[in-house]
Amino acid sequence: MRRRIPVLTSATLITALVATAVVAGTAGVASAHGDSGDDRGRAKNVIYLLGDGMGRTHVTAARERFYGSDGKLTMETLPAQGYVSTYAVEKLSGQPGSKDFHPNPVTDSASAATAWSSGVKTYNAALGIDATGTVKPTVMELAKKAGLRTGNVSTAEITDATPAGQMSHALARGCQGPVYSDAACQDLSITGTALPTSDIRVTPIADQIARNGTADVILGGGLSRFDAADEKALKDQGYSVLGSPTSQTVATKSDLAAASGQKVFGLFNRGNLTIEKSKQDNPTSVQAKEPTLPEMTSKAIALLTSKSNSKDKSASKGFYLQVEGALIDKRSHANDAAQTLGEMKAFDDSVKIAKDFAAKDGNTLVIVTADHECAGFNIIEKGTFTNAEATAPPANVDSGNTANNSSPSRPNNAKDATRSTGIINGAGSADPKNFAPATFRIPSDPAGVVDGSPEAGLWLTYLSGNHTGADVPVYAYGPGSEQLDGTIDNTALFGIVGKALRVIR
Amino acid sequence: MKRTRPIVAIALAAAAVLVAGSIAVGVAVMARTDAAAPPPTDAVTTTLPGLAAASGAPELASIRLLRPKPGEVGQAAGPFDERFTVDDLAFDGKAVSGALRVTSDVSAVLDLEIIAGFYDAGGSVIGSARFVYHATDDGPVDPVTGTPVESIPFRVAVPTELAGRAVSTSIGVPVLVNE
Repeated sequence: MRRRIPVLTSATLITALVATAVVAGTAGVASAHGDSGDDRGRAKNVIYLLGDGMGRTHVTAARERFYGSDGKLTMETLPAQGYVSTYAVEKLSGQPGSKDFHPNPVTDSASAATAWSSGVKTYNAALGIDATGTVKPTVMELAKKAGLRTGNVSTAEITDATPAGQMSHALARGCQGPVYSDAACQDLSITGTALPTSDIRVTPIADQIARNGTADVILGGGLSRFDAADEKALKDQGYSVLGSPTSQTVATKSDLAAASGQKVFGLFNRGNLTIEKSKQDNPTSVQAKEPTLPEMTSKAIALLTSKSNSKDKSASKGFYLQVEGALIDKRSHANDAAQTLGEMKAFDDSVKIAKDFAAKDGNTLVIVTADHECAGFNIIEKGTFTNAEATAPPANVDSGNTANNSSPSRPNNAKDATRSTGIINGAGSADPKNFAPATFRIPSDPAGVVDGSPEAGLWLTYLSGNHTGADVPVYAYGPGSEQLDGTIDNTALFGIVGKALRVIR
Repeated sequence: MKRTRPIVAIALAAAAVLVAGSIAVGVAVMARTDAAAPPPTDAVTTTLPGLAAASGAPELASIRLLRPKPGEVGQAAGPFDERFTVDDLAFDGKAVSGALRVTSDVSAVLDLEIIAGFYDAGGSVIGSARFVYHATDDGPVDPVTGTPVESIPFRVAVPTELAGRAVSTSIGVPVLVNE
């Protein structure tokens, strides 16, 4: 006999099935909002490392220099790899796709920082606003609001464009402080008339950083941007202030090593931090007491994951940490390859610290990229020379083949003795008008080959002293890192990081 | 009891599941189309408690601490003194001039402000004036030749109302930003 299903049982079944379907559907909605459920691309922590001015050649040159042609920097070992387009826009431009979109092929650090911090294109010099001056929230602000811990580390002044891009909103990056000035802070081409000085967009960046609490851990340079009122404001929010803005006493690596707590503010130089090569060459100098970028990175991670006591659950929500190797750019502006390479090494050592943490943690997304390329860094073949050293560009005449003759017509090129007076970090170092390359020994060079010699295997040149518009590399590790494979625009980094941390949809 | 009742119940259940599932999926799809929604702006701190809004141009209290002798040009302490040198500093009674060269960085100077304090024969401050530089695409240029230069030439004239009374001066830098 076939078993019958009672009416009551049927109703119960219907109710249960409907309830199950609704619950499942609701879960789908929550997932779409990033609140729970689908964890694809999600991570508990994000460490975002930024090599300011680091182009593809910076990476290759550092690899050749420190690990040899068959070696790899740590960043190159990360599984996801791609490129990032970096262009900016003109003032008052619309966003890409709009009719009033006016791109600028070469970005500065402020526009680039705004792109990944706030997800919008803006004009060079703008921070945390779009190209029309509208304030845009940053990933770090959103992370802080969501209860995550936050950290911002840089070898530049902490008010400089890259760190400031996460912690401030300014019409002009020059409005760094310690004081307000019309010329540095206002931009009438954006606002028409001067904004009241109470407007956040013309408030000195140092004043913003000291009072908005966006970053729990703030490590870098730029103490001279801050004053006694800033120190009081920081302490009132519970920061442990290393050194003293009031007395302009810089913090030291010993201060950093001893620091504890969840909110730490430490600036180790009145300006930018000292380049690594200088500290290594002068180990007894005052500047040698500054921490390295790897030391600041390691300490920042420790502080952001620390618990004040066994019941402290604030660390369980995760953290967002930005780390900038700023001096790669600043020494590229100077066309100083030796210092540039030293800064690349320190930056890559910081990447290793982040990667090691992520590997142990298992739920941390590490992203390594740059804001723009700086100075057209290049590797030329040993024994060759650049156009800047030449009497004329390469030959463009071949009388036996008319197809190769075009305009302009150039019969030959040769090294110009007045423009190339010896390896720039060797025999030609005293000539300020010398365009010759800098040379460095690489691990495969024979013993006795030294930097600055023609025998050294790595020949490095610069195109200019300014930024270029080349795409920059990106490397990533951890949950969601596959989104960094291929080529993306720098504004996409905002969404990738924000969604990984569940702070944006 | 007719045998058809269980079949009807099961059919009703299946239909209900389909309807509920469709609604849920529809809502979910709507939510996904909302993925580009702008992030909340209330995460931005736009007011800073305890911070007084700036008023007026930046000043340097250190200018009042100096008492340069007639004809002298003093250098008033400011927050960025270790970042620059001043070449060709001179005062001719009508203006103080020179060229500021940043030594801490080689990237472009974005903003520079130089305050010149003027003093009477007794060494008391009688007024001030300023030189303001804000970067343009062209960068700093020599005011005479118009050619680009790495240092920034400056000239601060004695204000008209101080003419004849200003016998010495001092300069200081409250604003300096490099790219």
